[in-house]
Amino acid sequence: MPLVNYATREITCKIVYYGPGRSGKTTNLHYIYEQVPSARRGKMVSLATQTDRTLFFDFLPLDLGTISGFSTRFQLYTVPGQVYYQATRKLVLQGADGVVFVADSQARQLEENIESMQDLHANLAEHGMDVRATPLVIQYNKQDLPRELILGVDVLDDALNFRDVPAFTADALHGHGVFETLRGISELVLRRLSGSAGGSGAGAASRGAAPGAAPGAAPGAAPGAAPEAVPEAVPEAAPGAARRHSRDAVGSA
Amino acid sequence: MKARVSEPWVEAPLQRFADEARVTFALLLQPSGQVLGQFGFTRAMDVMAACSLAAAINVTAAQLGRELDGTPFRELHHAGRERELFIAEANTARGPLVLLAAFGDESSLGLVRLYFRELCTALANAAPAVAPAPSAAGRVDLGENLERDLDHSLAILFGRARPDPEGMLSVPSSIPPA
Repeated sequence: MPLVNYATREITCKIVYYGPGRSGKTTNLHYIYEQVPSARRGKMVSLATQTDRTLFFDFLPLDLGTISGFSTRFQLYTVPGQVYYQATRKLVLQGADGVVFVADSQARQLEENIESMQDLHANLAEHGMDVRATPLVIQYNKQDLPRELILGVDVLDDALNFRDVPAFTADALHGHGVFETLRGISELVLRRLSGSAGGSGAGAASRGAAPGAAPGAAPGAAPGAAPEAVPEAVPEAAPGAARRHSRDAVGSA
Repeated sequence: MKARVSEPWVEAPLQRFADEARVTFALLLQPSGQVLGQFGFTRAMDVMAACSLAAAINVTAAQLGRELDGTPFRELHHAGRERELFIAEANTARGPLVLLAAFGDESSLGLVRLYFRELCTALANAAPAVAPAPSAAGRVDLGENLERDLDHSLAILFGRARPDPEGMLSVPSSIPPA
C-alpha cells in the first residue's frame, strides 16, 4: 500500500516499470529524469552492469507536488529484464503500488513480451498481490521503428492486454508516450488509494493523446482528446495514444 | 538534531537510538523501501535513494542467506574508511522494518548493536497493530479534483505548463513537444 502520512498530508507510492530485456524501462526513467527539474526529483540510482544493462534496479524519486491536498511523491523503479534475473525482479516488485509493463513492439520480441507478462503475474501472485486488483498499465514502446518491424497495437493487445488495462504507444527514446504512461499509472494508483478505482478512472483510461497534442496542457482537459475521440484503429495513432478495448475484457478487474 | 518521521510512533524510539548510539545517519524504512523515519539527512530525495538501496541490500542479503545458510541474513555491517554501516531488521506488529545506520569514530559497532536491540523492543512496544486511517472508511479521500490536480502537477513537472501566482495553471502558447 502507498505510505500515507495523514498528519503532514503526504503520500508516497512505489511504481515499478516491468518488462522484457531491452524493452525501454530504463529509457523511460532517463527521459523523466531529464525532463523534470532537479528540485522535483532526487538522484537517479542505477545498479547496472558495465555495459549499462540493469543489474538490480534503477530508482528515481519524483515529487509530483500537491494533489488533492496531499503532497505526493512517487518512487519509480525498473527491474532487470533478462530472464536470468528472475529473483531480483521479484525482490524489486515487493511492495509495488502500481506496475508499468513496458513491452517491446518489435515482432521478433513478442515471445519475450508474453513470457515477461507471465513472469509478472507469477511474481505478483508470490507476493500475495491480486493481479486483477493491482494498478497496471501497458506501454507499447519502440513504435517509432519501421512498420515492417513492429506489431500493431491490436496484435499486441490481443497478446498482452487480456485484462483490458490502459495501454499507451510510445517512443521512449524521444519521450513520446512517456508522460502519458506515467500519468496513466499515477491516476490508477491514486484512484485505488482513494477507493474509487474503476469509477471515473475508466474515462481516464480511455483517453488518449491525439497526434501532436499536448498532454496535460490544461487542468481538467484530457491530454488531447476526449474519451470518445479516441479512434478504435489505434495502430495509426501517434506514440502516447492510449486505448481501451470496447469489447468485454476477459478477466478484467 | 531531531529525527523526522512519517508516522509518529517511530519518533521516540528512533530519536533515542540516534542519540544513544551516536550515529551520524539513521533510516527506518519498510522492506519495500518506503521511509518511516530519518535522522541526520538534509534532503528528502537523498533519503529516498538511501532507502531504495538499503531495502535492496536487506532483501538480497536475506535471500542470499536463505540460499547459502538456510535462514535469512538479518544483520549486516560494513566498516568503511571513515564511516561504518549497519543494516538490520526489526520485527513489529506492523511487519518487519529495516534500520540503516551510519556511524563514525564517536560510536562503535558494539554500541550500535546494543541500542539496536533496545530500538527493536521500543518499536515492538510502540507499533500500532494497523496503519492509522483518517476516516471510518479507512480511505484517503482525494476528492473529485484528483484528475485536474494530477494533470496540473504532471504538466508543471514536465515543463509543459507553469503555475501563476494565483495557483491557476498557465499554459504556454507554444507547447514543446514531448
